[in-house]
Amino acid sequence: MAVLEGVPVVGAAEAELAGSENSLRSLLSQTAVLTGRLLLRSVRSPMTLVHAVLLPVAFLLTLKVVFGDSITAITGENALYRSVPLVALLATMSGSTTGMVGINAERFDGFLARMWSLPIHRGAGLLSRLGAETVRLVFTTLVVLGTGMALGFRFHQGVGAAVLWVAIPVIFGVAFAAVATTVALYWRKTVMVEAMQPVIILGATFCTGFVPVDRYPDWVQPVVRYQPMSLAVDAMRGLSVGGPVLSPMISTLIWCAAIFAVCLVPLLVGYRRASTSR
Amino acid sequence: MTALTLTRPIPSGTQQWWVLTARLIAPTLRNGEVAVGVAVSVAATASLYIPLNRLMDGPDLQMSSYAQYLVPLIVLQAIAFASISTAFRAATDSVQGINRRFQSLPIASLTPLAARITAALYRCVIGLVVALAAGYVIGFRFHRGLWYAAVFCLLTLLIGLALALLGDTLGTKSRDPAATAQWLLLPQLIFGFLSVGIQPLHRFPEWIRPVVDNQPISRLVYALQALAGDSAGGVPPVTWSVIGPALAWTVGIMAVTLPWAVVVYRRRT
Repeated sequence: MAVLEGVPVVGAAEAELAGSENSLRSLLSQTAVLTGRLLLRSVRSPMTLVHAVLLPVAFLLTLKVVFGDSITAITGENALYRSVPLVALLATMSGSTTGMVGINAERFDGFLARMWSLPIHRGAGLLSRLGAETVRLVFTTLVVLGTGMALGFRFHQGVGAAVLWVAIPVIFGVAFAAVATTVALYWRKTVMVEAMQPVIILGATFCTGFVPVDRYPDWVQPVVRYQPMSLAVDAMRGLSVGGPVLSPMISTLIWCAAIFAVCLVPLLVGYRRASTSR
Repeated sequence: MTALTLTRPIPSGTQQWWVLTARLIAPTLRNGEVAVGVAVSVAATASLYIPLNRLMDGPDLQMSSYAQYLVPLIVLQAIAFASISTAFRAATDSVQGINRRFQSLPIASLTPLAARITAALYRCVIGLVVALAAGYVIGFRFHRGLWYAAVFCLLTLLIGLALALLGDTLGTKSRDPAATAQWLLLPQLIFGFLSVGIQPLHRFPEWIRPVVDNQPISRLVYALQALAGDSAGGVPPVTWSVIGPALAWTVGIMAVTLPWAVVVYRRRT
């Protein structure tokens, strides 16, 4: 009995030391631990490497081989300044599906509920997913960029522009991951992963990174010009080879912020629901 | 009391196959699978035809229109998507343990596989019909009459069968829907783009032409283009030298997959 009575005292003392469950300190340390968990899981499954590295690289090479000459002939500049951004964006999107399946799997094997019942900061679960996703996005973008450099892609606007170039797919990827996770939390059937595919494909092919905008039929050109992926590609093109940056950059950021803002509340509510009921 | 132990049911294999097939097909209208299948086929048509029509059309196609040239590839993309859904479904079944449950019941070990393949063919038919309808809208026509159109569909479904078998085995083996999900997208686009379905062989860089020319998608595209025919007459006639390689690839994929499927599926999990 004495031992049992001692337990909460020790627990309380430790809690005192580590800060309470709702403190900023425990949020940060717990997010770091959980982010590490997610990253470790991806690193240990060999398929992740295939998807984060091999497939985007293969797709970039394919675009270069199949369309490179035609696009270069039309635009008069190396097609890589369009296709490298496109593949970087595509890789961020195609990787998000793993996260969608993952969060649902953890919901159904009870891991989310288990975390909810432990003295863990309520925000740590979602923040760690954001953290792990960001690491993945930076890594994938750098891999695509490295491949592009090997093929002849160059930055002509300096180091600052290059850093901004890398930031765009990451920001875009976070916004897309917010959409993907929200969809996964509300639509738990396996079809939802397939349902994302037409969205990704249409986004990637009705995009200035795929084919120059004037090659599309006239009626569809406004859609192509102002959809977020095209704007992101335009901004990244400006940041690498040169051209207008400010306007497409601001539009891209507005798109991403808007997408993220729309998803935020449903995302939080959905995550709470997924953690408290099966 | 002994009567209880004596009346062990002797279930019919066909009936079991039908029940397991219905289990997969019956919910597809409700859970959105049919809607997604339709959307994927329409998206495949729109995403290839609309951006590429002005870029790719030209006299060196030797075809009456780019739509006539492109639709065989679109049909194959639709079929490929259906098969990847099959892989995803198989991985989900496998990881949820229902396969193990089936193995503990008096069901022949390949009956659940047969049921999933039947459901896969059902998805292929949806994909094919929608892709042909979308192709009709953009201007694709069968120019050689009903019989050749029927052979066109049969060949497509045969490929669908081969890919479904491959997808199902991969999915069952991997037991990992998350990893399988990623295969939905980029590999199809890579194989599809690096084929003669997207542009004629002479437009590819010289060094890659042997690969492009001989890879299975290209061979299938040659066969399907010949079967569909064209008003301009630039399409080769339907001969065994055109259809043969396509059939050989299809049968080859099946011949390699089938023994492997038996091994994977018989294994106690």
